[in-house]
Amino acid sequence: MQAFFHRLLALDRRWIFLLVLISVTTPILVPIGLPVTTTSSTRNAFEYVEALKPGDLVWLSFDYGPSSAPENDPMAEAFLRQCFTKKVRVIITALYPLGGLGLANQAVAKVAAEFPEAKYGVDYINLGYKDGAAAVMRSLGQDITSAFPTDVNGRPVSEFPIMEGLRTIRQVQLVFTAATGLIGEYWITQVHAQFGTDVIIGPTAVSAPKYYAFINAGQLIGMLGGMKGAAEYEKLLAAKHEPLGKFYRSTADFTATKGMDGQTVLHGVILALIVMGNLAFFLTRGKKAGAA
Amino acid sequence: MNADFGRVMLVVLFALIPIAGIALGMRAPALRSKIPLLVAFFAGLIPIFSMYIPKRFLSGDGGMSPRLDEWLIIVAGFALLLGITNVISNSYRKISRKERNWPYAIVLLVGLFTMGGFGIYGAVSHQGTGFLPDGSPTPFRWVETTVFQPLQSTIFALLAFFMASAAFRAFRARNTEATILLIAGAIVMIGRVPLIEFLAAPFPALQPAAASAGQFMGKATEWIMDVPNGAAQSGILIGAALGAASMAIRVILGIERGYLGLGKGE
Repeated sequence: MQAFFHRLLALDRRWIFLLVLISVTTPILVPIGLPVTTTSSTRNAFEYVEALKPGDLVWLSFDYGPSSAPENDPMAEAFLRQCFTKKVRVIITALYPLGGLGLANQAVAKVAAEFPEAKYGVDYINLGYKDGAAAVMRSLGQDITSAFPTDVNGRPVSEFPIMEGLRTIRQVQLVFTAATGLIGEYWITQVHAQFGTDVIIGPTAVSAPKYYAFINAGQLIGMLGGMKGAAEYEKLLAAKHEPLGKFYRSTADFTATKGMDGQTVLHGVILALIVMGNLAFFLTRGKKAGAA
Repeated sequence: MNADFGRVMLVVLFALIPIAGIALGMRAPALRSKIPLLVAFFAGLIPIFSMYIPKRFLSGDGGMSPRLDEWLIIVAGFALLLGITNVISNSYRKISRKERNWPYAIVLLVGLFTMGGFGIYGAVSHQGTGFLPDGSPTPFRWVETTVFQPLQSTIFALLAFFMASAAFRAFRARNTEATILLIAGAIVMIGRVPLIEFLAAPFPALQPAAASAGQFMGKATEWIMDVPNGAAQSGILIGAALGAASMAIRVILGIERGYLGLGKGE
């Protein structure tokens, strides 16, 4: 037995890599369909958006890059689907420099195709990317057109009905930021704290713990923490809106709910590795101490 | 005092004084470090005063503080330009001296000029960086989708492999603190995913108990994240904010001068 644990401790890490690869890819190829339970922070976010009326204005910011797209894409898309379903008008921006705009264009094109009745410039508009996240947010509190004079295609925003009468971000009911890094936090400190606009955040799982402090302080309406938060949101959406329920059950595209299968198996594998590593460490250490 | 007064003040503080400072600094080197300090002093004080003094020339439409906010965006744009210049000059030096790993510098420059070139082409030709009218992607968009996005995703995805390996080799209950961390981590890892339900799936008799256990772990996870984690994060955030405020005061008062980048003797 001791020899086994010694061999275990000296295990080539490529075997661990292989195990991780198998445990992630298998559930993607053969979906398990595990249940998803919801948390209060996601429910609060969902209920807030559900309470919005048709014609209300929300701001969706794509503040992440391709590195965290599997986590952030599903939450941004789910939020957009909910807004289009409820006829809530959406202003879209991207403030993350490393590919945020590309992902925004991709997600907006994809979801807009699912809702042909949603008209560009009337029900939603894509204002594109602007450098200097915190500085941009501060100027949104004074004059949105000074920060975004044109839409993503270079057309003056004054041409679009959705921008009529809209001067500052104070007139927007809600900001939803799908974020990685610091930009999500800026929406709280620069926009909510200074202009009072409510904020919901969809951070990556790695940065989610930080935002509990803002939730406890009442500075965040809710949070979709990582892929789990996105899967919870998809579940709530599917339960509330039948067409979306049908969509999430039948779509061949990647969804957070599907991703949770792989994450569950991987969590199990990592926990098993931690237990085995500790067992091997303590049993071999005890033997060494006894021998000495 | 209206917005025009604010505009005049901005011109005086951030244009006339710096220009005069540059001119005088050529004759008196001691002035070179004084003028930037003066500019930083006013740039720091104006937004703070605008929060407390509700005067139109300070915080109203077109007032000093909103205009400074607009300038910030322009300065951020220049910072990007500065970054690009820095990357080009560093990479050029690396290649010309054939320093260690210099071929990677060529790859970096090729990537920079390719994406930058396609981006500028999109702007000049009014095609943008998205899709063409026929639905096909612009060159910028094509490279972004087929090269940039998969590369970034791949690099981030590697984390899962290294985390699993590190968890096996380094996550040990060596002492009390490490044991608490390990137990809390294990609870959160179990509570965030339906792991218990997954493990109980082959045993139908165990499934109700597994569902209850899964719910309990989920609640325990929420408590850990809300209470101990929330409290610690609040402490960290408040500490960091106080540190940032004290650093800002040091910069405004000219005590902290590292940002000036002055050499020895100045």
